[in-house]
Amino acid sequence: MNATTGRSNPLWTVLAVLYAFAILFPVIWMASMMFKPADVMFARPTVFLFTPTLEHFDYVIELGFVWNLLTSFLLCTISTALVVLIGTPAAYAFARFEMRGKDDLFLFILASRMGPPVCLVIPFYLIFAKIGLIDTFAGLTLAYMTFNLSFYVWVLRSFCRDLPVELEEAAALEGWSRPQIFRRVVFPLLRNGIVATAVLCFIFAWNEFLFAFMLGGKTVQTLPVAIPKLITSQGVRWGEMAVVGIVALVPVLAVVIALQRHIVRGLTLGAVKG
Amino acid sequence: MAAVTDTAMSQPAPRIRKERFWYPYLLIAPTMITLVIVSLIPFLYAIYLSFHKAKYGRVGDFIWFDNYAGLLADERFWSAISTAGIFVAIAVPVEFMLGLAGAMVLNHGVRGRSVLVPLLFIPTMMAPIVVGLLWKIMLAGSWGFISYNVLERFGILGETSIFASPHLALGALIFVDIWQWTPFMMLAFFAGLQALPLGPYRAAAVDGANGAQIFFRLTLPMMSPLLAVIGLLRLIDAFKVFDTVFILTGGGPGIATESPSVLAYKMTFEFWNIGEASALAVLVWIAFFVFCNAFYQIAKKRLNAF
Repeated sequence: MNATTGRSNPLWTVLAVLYAFAILFPVIWMASMMFKPADVMFARPTVFLFTPTLEHFDYVIELGFVWNLLTSFLLCTISTALVVLIGTPAAYAFARFEMRGKDDLFLFILASRMGPPVCLVIPFYLIFAKIGLIDTFAGLTLAYMTFNLSFYVWVLRSFCRDLPVELEEAAALEGWSRPQIFRRVVFPLLRNGIVATAVLCFIFAWNEFLFAFMLGGKTVQTLPVAIPKLITSQGVRWGEMAVVGIVALVPVLAVVIALQRHIVRGLTLGAVKG
Repeated sequence: MAAVTDTAMSQPAPRIRKERFWYPYLLIAPTMITLVIVSLIPFLYAIYLSFHKAKYGRVGDFIWFDNYAGLLADERFWSAISTAGIFVAIAVPVEFMLGLAGAMVLNHGVRGRSVLVPLLFIPTMMAPIVVGLLWKIMLAGSWGFISYNVLERFGILGETSIFASPHLALGALIFVDIWQWTPFMMLAFFAGLQALPLGPYRAAAVDGANGAQIFFRLTLPMMSPLLAVIGLLRLIDAFKVFDTVFILTGGGPGIATESPSVLAYKMTFEFWNIGEASALAVLVWIAFFVFCNAFYQIAKKRLNAF
């Protein structure tokens, strides 16, 4: 809280609420399209009131979108679990120890986060095609490491830096080994940070399109990739697209409600403590 | 890089007792090995490809800088750079200003922030492909909600769809980017404002400073490293825009909305000119590395964040 914060101003409140509504209106509109019958979908003037229908849901299920959902869920879970496993010790090490060339190593990690995915997808595609990793869970898990492992290490490191080093020193004086200290002192304190960062990784993987589109295929087809599938030769299935879009949004909604304090820190790669 | 390392040493990094020298390296080894495989090797492979004649998946002769020369002589490349330039030059400053203004509003006492804040995160956290879908629905030809109820009513749009006109299509993409990222800028700046120390504001109040003086002499200078870091981050992200362009316009009409990412994609997967696409990827990568380094230096030295 700083000095300028004080009594709330009704005018500002109204303005902020209006802004939030304007921002979210397209989402609400898309949600209404899930239930909108096809005959009023394209009506001019726009139809606001209609008898809701579930036909779009039926079609989405018929097309097997449940499999896309499962694939997405499985892929994101596997890749996030691996990231946590590999990245946690590194984040801790970067926060606690001096290393030769630490800055350069750290910059390399940042660079692999920031590089445009389209630049990576070209070599990935050629290499994967050679060694048979196209359309496999392993291939996509590997590809997701580029942005998620680097992200995880960066953000978790900022959480590690927040921990008081004194506790670890005290434990070391007690004669605890390094792994013991990590398990019994650091991990309990770091747990919230790990969960928050991992959940953000999950969302990034969940939202990812380009890698999944180019390196996936018929076997591994995630939910975002399935959306363009609804642009068929008989026309675009807007209602179905709305259903899939909203389903894709559900985890995102859960996360913004549960994690709001950590999202800013995550999205600024730890530069801003939310 | 020696100078950089020195600053890292002098910075108050928390340390326990002297550890065996290899211990931290052991901890980072799995991460570094993985990143070498998934990030460094593809990058080196892209460099390799960029120096070879590579079309239709067949890697041919070593041709020095021919791919680069071909790329730089290609008008389409310059068009993509300028499209991205226009996109970034309009979208990022607008997001920045609106974000800062919004953060000030939030900070000046808005009721129900605990409900508003999570809602404002939604556009940013959404899958870009869903963002594209949303705006395809809102701006679709004759029946899109905004096309019909706003654009047509006020005569902004003629006969055609907004995505059929080169200028409007780019404008729409910029608008979508602003829609998606302004709330995030707002919340990030708001988090920064909330973390500012109280002392200077008390002193300013005692000295009888007015609102503008407080903003320009106190808030802005104290916020500047944070503003720079977040601005840079957004700049980097905006420059590599792909998903929303891909679903909304596919780079069209013609090449009017083709960003470097979309061009690299098309060069690879539509023209199969892998050599030149790799050259483009390498150039973009190098440009990004410069920005990336700037982000890191500011964040570390001025914000003491890393």
